[in-house]
Amino acid sequence: MKLTSITRTTITRSVVLAGVLALAAGCDNFLDVNNNPNGPSAATVSPNLYLAPMLNWLVTDPQWDAPYGIPNYVQNFMDVTTNYHHTILDEMGDFNTDVGKQAWRDVYWSWGQNLIDMNTKAEAQQRWDLLGVGMILKGWGWEELAGLHGDIIVKEAFDQSRSKFDYDTEKYALDAAMTYLDSAIVLLQRTDGAVDAAYLAVGDHIYNGDRTKWLKFAYGARAILENRYSNKASLYNPTQIIADVDKSFTSNDDDALMKFLGTQHDDLNFFGPTRQNVTTKRQTQFTVQLMDGTVFGGTVDPRMSRMLAPSPDGQYRGLDPNQSLYGALSTSERPMNAWGYVNTPPGGSIGRYLFADHEKTPVMTYSQLQFTKAEAAFRAGDKATALEAYRNGISSHIDFVNARNQDDNQTQGGRCSAPTVCAPPVTLISDAEKTAFLADPNIVPAAANLTMSDIMAQKYIAQWGWAFYEQWMDMRRFHYTDHYAGEAQQAFPNFAVPTNLYVLNAGKVIYRLRPRYNSEYVWNADALSKIQPISGLADDYQTSMLWIVEPDGTPEH
Amino acid sequence: MLKTSVLATLLGICLVAAPASAQQRLIHGKVINDVGDPLSNVQVTVTGTSRITNTNDAGTYVIPARTGEILQFRYIGTQPIERTVGTSDTINVQLRRVAVSLNTVTVTALGQSAAERSLGTAQQTVQGNDIAKTQRMNFTDALQGRVAGVQVNPTSGVPGASSQIVLRGISSISSSNQPLFILDGLPMNNDVFNSGALASGRPNSQNSFENRDVDFTNRAADINPNDIESIVVLKGPAASALYGIDAANGAIVVTTKRGRPGTGGFEFNTSTQIQSPSKYPEIQTQFDTTACCSSGGYTYFGPAYAPGTKLYDNVKNFFRTGVSTRNDLAFSGASPDSRITYRVSASADRDNGVIPNARYDRNNLTGRSTAQVTQWMNADLSMMYSNSVNSQPFNGVDGPLLGLLIWPQTDNAANYLTPGGDRRLIGSQSTYTGSYDNPYFSVNKNQNNTKGHRFISNLGVTVTPFSWGYLKSNIGIDADNSDHLVLRHPESETGASYTSGPGTNGGVLDVANVTTPHLSEQTLFNVNPYSITDNLSITGLVGQAVVDDKSTTVAVTGNSFLDPNFVSINNTIQWIPLTTNQQRRVVSGFGQATLNYHQYLYLTATGRNDWTSTIPTGKNSFFYPSFNTSFVFSDAFPSIAKYVSGKLTAAYAEVGRDAKPYAYIPVLQQKTTAYGGFGYDFWGPNPNLKPEWAKDWEFGTQLSFLNDRLGVDATYYSKRTYDEIVQNIRQSYATGFILFNLNGADTKNAGLELTVNGVPMLRHSFEWDIAANFAKSAGKTVSLPYDLPELYSSDSWVAGNVRNGTMPGLSTMSLTGNFWLRNDQGKLLIDPATGLPIASGDFIDAGYDRQPDFTLGLTNTFRYKSLSLDFLLDIRKGGDVYDATDWYLTTHGLSKQTEDRWTPRVVDGVLRDGKENTANPTPNNIVIVPAINTNYYTDMSPEQFIEKNINWVRLADITLSYTLPQRLLPNASVFVTATDLFMFTNYTGLDPLGSASNPNTGGSGSVGIDYGNFGIPRAVNIGAKVRF
Repeated sequence: MKLTSITRTTITRSVVLAGVLALAAGCDNFLDVNNNPNGPSAATVSPNLYLAPMLNWLVTDPQWDAPYGIPNYVQNFMDVTTNYHHTILDEMGDFNTDVGKQAWRDVYWSWGQNLIDMNTKAEAQQRWDLLGVGMILKGWGWEELAGLHGDIIVKEAFDQSRSKFDYDTEKYALDAAMTYLDSAIVLLQRTDGAVDAAYLAVGDHIYNGDRTKWLKFAYGARAILENRYSNKASLYNPTQIIADVDKSFTSNDDDALMKFLGTQHDDLNFFGPTRQNVTTKRQTQFTVQLMDGTVFGGTVDPRMSRMLAPSPDGQYRGLDPNQSLYGALSTSERPMNAWGYVNTPPGGSIGRYLFADHEKTPVMTYSQLQFTKAEAAFRAGDKATALEAYRNGISSHIDFVNARNQDDNQTQGGRCSAPTVCAPPVTLISDAEKTAFLADPNIVPAAANLTMSDIMAQKYIAQWGWAFYEQWMDMRRFHYTDHYAGEAQQAFPNFAVPTNLYVLNAGKVIYRLRPRYNSEYVWNADALSKIQPISGLADDYQTSMLWIVEPDGTPEH
Repeated sequence: MLKTSVLATLLGICLVAAPASAQQRLIHGKVINDVGDPLSNVQVTVTGTSRITNTNDAGTYVIPARTGEILQFRYIGTQPIERTVGTSDTINVQLRRVAVSLNTVTVTALGQSAAERSLGTAQQTVQGNDIAKTQRMNFTDALQGRVAGVQVNPTSGVPGASSQIVLRGISSISSSNQPLFILDGLPMNNDVFNSGALASGRPNSQNSFENRDVDFTNRAADINPNDIESIVVLKGPAASALYGIDAANGAIVVTTKRGRPGTGGFEFNTSTQIQSPSKYPEIQTQFDTTACCSSGGYTYFGPAYAPGTKLYDNVKNFFRTGVSTRNDLAFSGASPDSRITYRVSASADRDNGVIPNARYDRNNLTGRSTAQVTQWMNADLSMMYSNSVNSQPFNGVDGPLLGLLIWPQTDNAANYLTPGGDRRLIGSQSTYTGSYDNPYFSVNKNQNNTKGHRFISNLGVTVTPFSWGYLKSNIGIDADNSDHLVLRHPESETGASYTSGPGTNGGVLDVANVTTPHLSEQTLFNVNPYSITDNLSITGLVGQAVVDDKSTTVAVTGNSFLDPNFVSINNTIQWIPLTTNQQRRVVSGFGQATLNYHQYLYLTATGRNDWTSTIPTGKNSFFYPSFNTSFVFSDAFPSIAKYVSGKLTAAYAEVGRDAKPYAYIPVLQQKTTAYGGFGYDFWGPNPNLKPEWAKDWEFGTQLSFLNDRLGVDATYYSKRTYDEIVQNIRQSYATGFILFNLNGADTKNAGLELTVNGVPMLRHSFEWDIAANFAKSAGKTVSLPYDLPELYSSDSWVAGNVRNGTMPGLSTMSLTGNFWLRNDQGKLLIDPATGLPIASGDFIDAGYDRQPDFTLGLTNTFRYKSLSLDFLLDIRKGGDVYDATDWYLTTHGLSKQTEDRWTPRVVDGVLRDGKENTANPTPNNIVIVPAINTNYYTDMSPEQFIEKNINWVRLADITLSYTLPQRLLPNASVFVTATDLFMFTNYTGLDPLGSASNPNTGGSGSVGIDYGNFGIPRAVNIGAKVRF
């Protein structure tokens, strides 16, 4: 059928007109295609889905930072490469860099807006348990950052309309941390609203949604924070610390541990042989001397051969940061790497202690808290309580070492052959060894003979290889080489700061990390320059003492 | 009345019957050239209509026309002629050969035809045949040297390598600088697959490629060069203001071939190509490794080879002679009444490079048809399907070239497998990790394969409802569907460590499927010239366009292979998926009006408003104007026309530019840390994001001398870009995020383009044409956001702490790096402890600039009887190139310059002893023997390897062709074409062309950073062209 030109025109006009009108009407919606479809919307995502990545960083931040400064400052490890890290890190230096500043990245970004979103949603949905965990993270973040960097950005943080951020004092950050932990303790006691272990467990692979364990964790975090005030008589409250520790972990069962399943690369232990992040690290002489009898009256610690790596000749030695590399040690005398191999083992090899792919990595332990309690009681003059906690700390750490050495087949190690030389498999510490060790007066003296030095040395061992942040805090509280009032030995026996300090330190030891370079030095330098008493831009800013370890009465900064 | 009609048309009330007119009849005739030879392929158009045809090989044509209508005859290189149809049915014309002519009619923005004299902005045309005859697979590579101001930067010399195209230098220091491609009136996708869309490329990945170690073809290469009729390059935003925000960096307008009325026939092109390496990299052959060959043991600071040691020439043995073929068959013609034309072509092109297993195969099927549906309506349908397969070796640090160079010469690299079929380890190696891949293993076992399916269709309808105007509407889809497979073999150095535990294999396999349906629509209403007075007329258009670009990539990466040699994701244990969806829509309205006074003064104004989806509502609508004028002074003052004829032009344009999709809205992503979950990606919100803005001035002149046998075209331009959207800029992490996309940078570009065309010789049997394209451009960074000291793209940071960093006051193509420290007098500072120079710990400027001083393309065409010879010399003067391959070789003791390692020396400089900046600095007197103190080489600053002022003269292509005598075989010719036959250069490395990362790298990219890149091979083609 042939259309007449009039009908054809009419139809065409109508169709085109309709099309134009439809387009015009739909124009606003037509351009509304800018919602990113590649991830869920923050408006709709379930708040528990934010949690797992944040807990991952709660556990792994100290490990990620470990190849850089802190483990060298506290002489867990030293470097055996000739690159500049060797000198700078072993000489207590810190430089303008992003590496070794993982906590900065994670508190501000990995947690940052995610934690705010999670807490806001959890509150709106009355998920008090999730909100309680969120409050722990808020508090823990400021607690750790203030401990690492001193002055940090708290008040103005997470305001995306700003491009410059003023620093708050260390004291302000510490108070903020305490407030959040207090809130967490209130929230985690609630069972009303939408509190639900199964829901929390979706993101919680540390306690599997168990609110009561997180409550203990919050008390533990508070006790650790309170104990950091040991240089401030006016603010130090041993009774409160002991009370908080007692409400915290009651056994190793409460330890905050996260297991790495290894479903993918990021999900393997950062310290495991596959990820090869500590290939250039070797244990120090300081560490070995705490366990080989040098410090503790000749008693060899059974944990030494289960935590540390032997040299090919079977002896345990550590390196001295005042010696270049291995010093005078012959090839067979040089300590193997943390996995127990002379050379870097292939990915997937069996490791030792915390240096294994599928290890459970701790973030806070019963043993650690017992030493905290021991210190508080000791300072309060209650030596009986101190001794009991001290003994608990050692005993539970022996169990911890055994447990960790069973997490990832470490006892089946030694599957290596020439040219890869490796240590024999680790064995478990027997009950007899443990009993004998705890009965040894060199290790567990009578209450009257207990020293702060004993407590700090044993705490150092219990925190060795994982709690680098807290180890550093402990050492700085004793200004590295202080003696506790009237004691013959340093609180950290035989610890010596390197004779050659990093050139820009101007002869001083390190007390804080410089903020993350690409966050602050490039983008927020003005604010850094205002930090007191040493400007954040000064070459020796890293030596600026933390307020919390300065004498009582020092003005807040 | 006019106004009302335009409005009515816009509202869609457009299809009214054509006005009644005089009787249409068939006009025919013959077109010959200056010397009386028939001219084929002359375009014959009835002006003001869409009726168009071409002359056939005998120079004849047939076209329907009415008495009083005007026939226009156009042929490249000739003066166009117009004839009014009178009573005779026959119109014969002779076209005069010219080098330039103001009367030439060319295609300009939006497919409009305009006389050269009326254009107030710079543009340049290249004929498709000139492109096709180079036999280059990727037609964009053939543009280098043929258009002033076009810089084509191939990523490498392997088959299917991508090419970056930049017009007029780098103005964006963080985003893409590539122009918009237009194919038959609609935008064409020229993406290069971004390795960030591979699942291994997700943020925080341990094994992402960062667009460095792998390269993928730029999708413009899907076009068969033999299908191209012409390419018009619209250089500045002035010319392309009408194409909108995507053309802020210019536009390359490709028009494909159509059938020719009056003829019908087949055309068959075939050629066979031989490729061989242009140059082999050199390494020293005197000193052995220190201890072969575990991790770090590949350094050649060991003893001299014992006399009689058998050394293998692994480097030379590795390359092969690549044999490739091109076959192209087309048939075209028209219906007897010329109302329907058609052209169908099929091609099968094979490109086998000089690297084993590298290939790029492409099969194309295209069909184009035009139909005069009614007297007032024409339709044009084109469809193209392209199927391509590309296998490339890896690039850079993971690629076979560095592995090849560092392989012990005492070992035969070709023997790369054990008898059991596993990778053969050498020296003290006990594992597959921590060493280098054998180059043969790399090219045989690692894979980077792309299988692409490209479909482009474009339907155009032209309606002429009124005598005073016509409506042209195009709608098209450009859809690419590509499968990518990137394999890091379980036994390869790069893949071996990705195991799920002891006893399992490593290996990383990435597969990704990309679909990019891009839809676009454009409607124009053209108003034919309307005389306001006798000497003043106006013409113009209004239009509207919609672009909807979508891309979906579904990717998965797997590692831990069960069977080390079975390549399938089903063979891996650990998987990570990643889908990446992107969508962007732009709606536009635009218009243009040209006033024509006496045909010697033209004034054009354009305006365009765009609404984009990628800028926050409220700022996403923006209008930008342009003005240009052309003054034909030789017509205004006829007295000077006998000496020179020509025009002066001036133009001003503004153009806005939007952001990437989702640039200002934070998104949650799945985290790959333990136990998954979601968290924000790096990018924070920026609700204040606005379009960046460029303002562009341009002044030009086109002059012709000697009766149009010599033409000179000069253009000066100056462009300032404000509020540039800087991608991935960091801020304090206290924002809660790491990166932002924000406005802030400010850049300035200026340059000069000069084109000279001449016909020095024109005889009956001998013709000589010459064309020169000169360009000088310079881009400068004026300021950076937040007073940032430096901006760089991390993709370019590949070797030895040098990157494409720019700072305020520096070139947009500068390099920053850990360069040597110097005292006030510029002397090197020497460490008193070592006697070696001290490199800066920060990235600093040391005056390096990759921007050439100028480029010059020189084309000569000689025709003598049946023989023709033409060639293009690509000349460049200045511009620095970082020979990172040499840095790599030197720090490993392999470069030739390390042969004198036993010669004691004192590095010229002053000691850094506190007196370095005093009047009497201490001269360095510490003697070094590099063979003993190998830090001399290993700590060498990369600055030592930045070669200043690199020049070259490159024979880009040369073709000798011979037309067979008619009696032997009609319409047949044979030819020999060679590309990249030779290059004279002061560059000491392998090839100064090439780039250390692919064109996805923003800003100035990695052009001029030569790291582990295979050079461009020499290729010789022998072929034939037959028409029947």
